[in-house]
Amino acid sequence: MKKILAVLLALAMVLALVPAVMAEGAPELITVTVFKGDPGDQPTEDNKIYKLIEEKLGIKFEFEFLAGNLDETLGIKMSDRDNLPDLFDGSNSAEMLEDGGVLIDLLPYISEEKTPNLYKHIYTDDRIKQLLSEDGKLYIIPNYGINYNQEIKDYNGPAFHIQKKVIAWNNYQVPKTVDEYFALIEKYIAENPTTEDGTPYTGFAILCEGWRHFCLINPVQHLIGRPNDGEVVVDINDPGYHTETFIDKPYAKPYYKKLNEAYKKGLISRDTFAMNYDQYIAALSNGTVIGMFDQGWDFGDATNSLNAAKKYENTYLALPLLYDADDLEGIALPSADWKVEEHYVNGSVMNKDRGAGISISCKYPERMVELYETLLSDEWQKILQWGIEGEDYYVENGRMLMTKEQYENRSNSDWQRANTANAIWTSLPKKQGTMDDGNAWSPDQQPEIRNEFRSDYDKDFLAKSGKTDWIQFFGPVTPLAPYGEAWEINKGPIQDDVDAFLRIQDEQLPGIIMAADDAEFDAKWDAFVKEVAPYGEIYGKFMNEEILKLVALVEGK
Amino acid sequence: MTTKVINTGAVGLKKKKGFFRTLGSQYQLMIMSVPMLLYVLLFNYAPMWGWVIAFQEYKPELGLLNSKWVGWDNFKFLFSKQDFLLSIRNTFAMSLINLVFGTVAAILLAILLNEVRNKAFKRTVQTVTYLPHFLSMVIVVGMAQNIFASNGAANDLLVGLGLVKEPVFFLGKGEYFWWLVGAINVWKEVGWGTIIYIAAMTSIDPSLYEAAAIDGAGRFQRILHVTLPGIKSTFMVLLIMNIGHLMEAGFEIQYLMRNGMVQKYSDTIDIMSLLYSFGARPQYGRGVAAGMFKSIVGIILLFGANKIAKVMDEETLI
Repeated sequence: MKKILAVLLALAMVLALVPAVMAEGAPELITVTVFKGDPGDQPTEDNKIYKLIEEKLGIKFEFEFLAGNLDETLGIKMSDRDNLPDLFDGSNSAEMLEDGGVLIDLLPYISEEKTPNLYKHIYTDDRIKQLLSEDGKLYIIPNYGINYNQEIKDYNGPAFHIQKKVIAWNNYQVPKTVDEYFALIEKYIAENPTTEDGTPYTGFAILCEGWRHFCLINPVQHLIGRPNDGEVVVDINDPGYHTETFIDKPYAKPYYKKLNEAYKKGLISRDTFAMNYDQYIAALSNGTVIGMFDQGWDFGDATNSLNAAKKYENTYLALPLLYDADDLEGIALPSADWKVEEHYVNGSVMNKDRGAGISISCKYPERMVELYETLLSDEWQKILQWGIEGEDYYVENGRMLMTKEQYENRSNSDWQRANTANAIWTSLPKKQGTMDDGNAWSPDQQPEIRNEFRSDYDKDFLAKSGKTDWIQFFGPVTPLAPYGEAWEINKGPIQDDVDAFLRIQDEQLPGIIMAADDAEFDAKWDAFVKEVAPYGEIYGKFMNEEILKLVALVEGK
Repeated sequence: MTTKVINTGAVGLKKKKGFFRTLGSQYQLMIMSVPMLLYVLLFNYAPMWGWVIAFQEYKPELGLLNSKWVGWDNFKFLFSKQDFLLSIRNTFAMSLINLVFGTVAAILLAILLNEVRNKAFKRTVQTVTYLPHFLSMVIVVGMAQNIFASNGAANDLLVGLGLVKEPVFFLGKGEYFWWLVGAINVWKEVGWGTIIYIAAMTSIDPSLYEAAAIDGAGRFQRILHVTLPGIKSTFMVLLIMNIGHLMEAGFEIQYLMRNGMVQKYSDTIDIMSLLYSFGARPQYGRGVAAGMFKSIVGIILLFGANKIAKVMDEETLI
């Protein structure tokens, strides 16, 4: 009897201790509001990763996703300065948050002793020099682009895209120039005017809506051999980093001339210029659009739905096109010794000023930095990127692998909502590249997984093309210029001129592409150049100054 | 009609009582109007302090008191910009189109409904025509974009009837934009607009119609000489109110339908105000200046229209 009593007593004591220990382990539970500058899906109530974060770190998230125009939404959110979201992700317009002074400086919170992960993350290789804003403060730790160990390159940036089945139809011969590209599209449509169900094909789509108008206004820089510098081209061989806008230069004209020809041949539908993003994604998802210039991430939804519908042959292959040599005959390029060589893929760029900052109205800035720090640990990064061992992946001989089901789950948005913390993970600093043990940080970059879980169509496509991965359709990765990529530069001081510069392009380029004949094309082009060039002048000069400042900063002069 | 009754009453009272006596004698009415007065003061007058932003280079972090004062700079900027001047034109053009076609369509439909003797048919038509009023503009514009696309229903119809050879590029030509907006607005609001006219028509004394019929007036003559004069006062009051709203061309419809090609025709003052205030680099001062300009012109228009109506000895609002 005594024994039993003793056991019960001991048991009672242990049970009494449990809550105490748990209370000690988990800090006070707080709810953190998060605004995401991109549309997204709310995670489910019982999402397993958020539950784990709540258990271990005592933090619960409340997400608000963008619905509507980004700049306007940010402007409205910023005007209520006492009720800002705690974690504020301004997506592609995060400069507005920095300029508006709604984010706190993170530097005072980061030190080698208190936050070793973050410290290593941003101080290695003097990264910090590039990350500081002009006032010497750090508002946002980049959400992407900081690699550990070995960088695994996966290209998702600007390129000309074409449905894989067209390349297969062309005996896996890929076009190298814009001429070949449009010739292929034309030939394909001539023989296959409609899809299997009778919908006519659109040869080439151009998305012109809002900030995504880069599909309309950006291609020329790549055609003359530069990576994505936004609306300018930079001569990196020039010590003065000569910078100019390209849309108003003679070497831009041949591209729009080709679009005009494609339009006259009926390869481009005029409705493309009045299309909004949703209509564009819908058209791509239907498999009726043969090709377009865009950035891989910009139509990810379409790729996902095509894959989900097993229409692999309708997914897109990214191609690095250039001008033909005779396109540029007698046309001056940005410099006398300019070479038109393929240069689409840059070494990785730190996604400067992209990601979530901590707002000035956040009541727990220390807890937030702690959250960043903890989630950046190897242990948490594995959970965030790979999931839970045994549930979402398994380990064999030290390699992290996935079963077919586990892998397919990852692209299922319903599963994602319940089993990943993507909404917060995409905004926070993360580890990319490879782990110390050689596994890739991202499952999508783990070579075994890439090869194993490609669709049979894709495996076959790559084999017949003589490649093992999509990136091999591009030339070698070129080291990143010291200033990064120029589109990242904050253009606040000349915003009025930039706005005018872009407004004129939005208005007139469609008309130029739709010109009825050569005379009309030339007249419209000349009028356009005349109108846009003065703003281009200001823009190019400003960007040059900013680039020189960045170069001086990076080179420590 | 009611305006006149109150006026005569007031004139009668004025002879004997002063302002405060009148006020005292109407205290129940005064108490009833206090909530509305507070509402107007709080939501319509109090925010006008914000107008000072129009004279500042306003920065939210500095607030109203500490932002830099720039005098008329924001206004000077606006009126030096072709985009803004065009937006004034667009606002007026689209309002006028809405006003003229909206009113004409509403009166026509009201007259037709008034002449229909079959109650069930009349009710059905009335309900069907005013239901679109309750649709969100997002849905209406989405439908319109499909209907007016190059391969949409409108072009199928025009080409099918042989009216045009090639499909018309409705969505990409600035010249069409105003008329598309007008057409969509008429479609959406016509049923709603008839309600007030039908109400005015039911208040016309039936003996007038009978007398006209006995005098040998046909249906069209009765419409012309009895119905139309009967709704004239309603028409005038609505017209004056609508002229006061001429600067309100709507915002959602243009914002949803616009694209790069038609921006010189689509952007109204409201859209410019939004772009300035919440663009890539917010310039709240410019946005407020645009809004302030709009309000002041609106007030001038309202008083102007009222004055003209007075001169012409018609019903007035104020």
